[in-house]
Amino acid sequence: MAASSREHVLSLYRLLLKESKKFPSYNYRTYALRRVRDAFRENRTVEDPKDVEELLRRARDSLALIQRQKVMEKHDTQFTSAILLQRCR
Amino acid sequence: MASRALPYCVRSVARAAARLNHGSLLTRSACAPLVPKQRPLSVLSCSQRTRWTQLVRISGPSVDQCRHYGDLPPLTLQNIEERVMYVLKLYDKISPEKLQTSSHFMKDLGLDSLDQVEIIMAMEDEFGFEIPDAEAEKLMTPAEIVQFIADKKDVYE
Repeated sequence: MAASSREHVLSLYRLLLKESKKFPSYNYRTYALRRVRDAFRENRTVEDPKDVEELLRRARDSLALIQRQKVMEKHDTQFTSAILLQRCR
Repeated sequence: MASRALPYCVRSVARAAARLNHGSLLTRSACAPLVPKQRPLSVLSCSQRTRWTQLVRISGPSVDQCRHYGDLPPLTLQNIEERVMYVLKLYDKISPEKLQTSSHFMKDLGLDSLDQVEIIMAMEDEFGFEIPDAEAEKLMTPAEIVQFIADKKDVYE
């Protein structure tokens, strides 16, 4: 692997872990952390640059997904609690 | 505080007077008018037992006040090292027996770069400040981590 892609991989790993830690829900958080770790470890030995590029693209998409998901989940829980409050009245 | 200060001053005056004129009834009665109306007996008893009160004197107004604000204890090199080793021992891929301050993550402990990233992130969580990627990838032994944190936090001995 080229040096720059190694750094790419490590920085993506770090970003994914950081974003996964911010999930408010315990289940999502533990799942995301575990999945990120397992996926990176599983693909450690991949040498083909095209495969590496593909995996990096998937990682970036996952990162965007996690960032969106956190926002949606926060709104979702707020929405649900607003509905519950409405029903209580 | 004022109520404690006043008898203190009065007692010290009475004591000084008693020392000057040992056992003279006149001075003892002279001390009495100085006493505030609420506690007429205290001065007389103190002047009779000056030696005892001198021994037992707890300094009232001059008590040291030590404010404990809600902050972490100050960092020392030893403290940082203990915390770093504690976090490393909690990491499941490291066996605590083989771990020492100079053990290299990759050569001695057999970890890889992904593990090293995880370890550095655990350190970030423990000490509460960000470690940038460029410097993080150079930290390969616990001693280096301790040194880096000490540099960042201005801890020196």
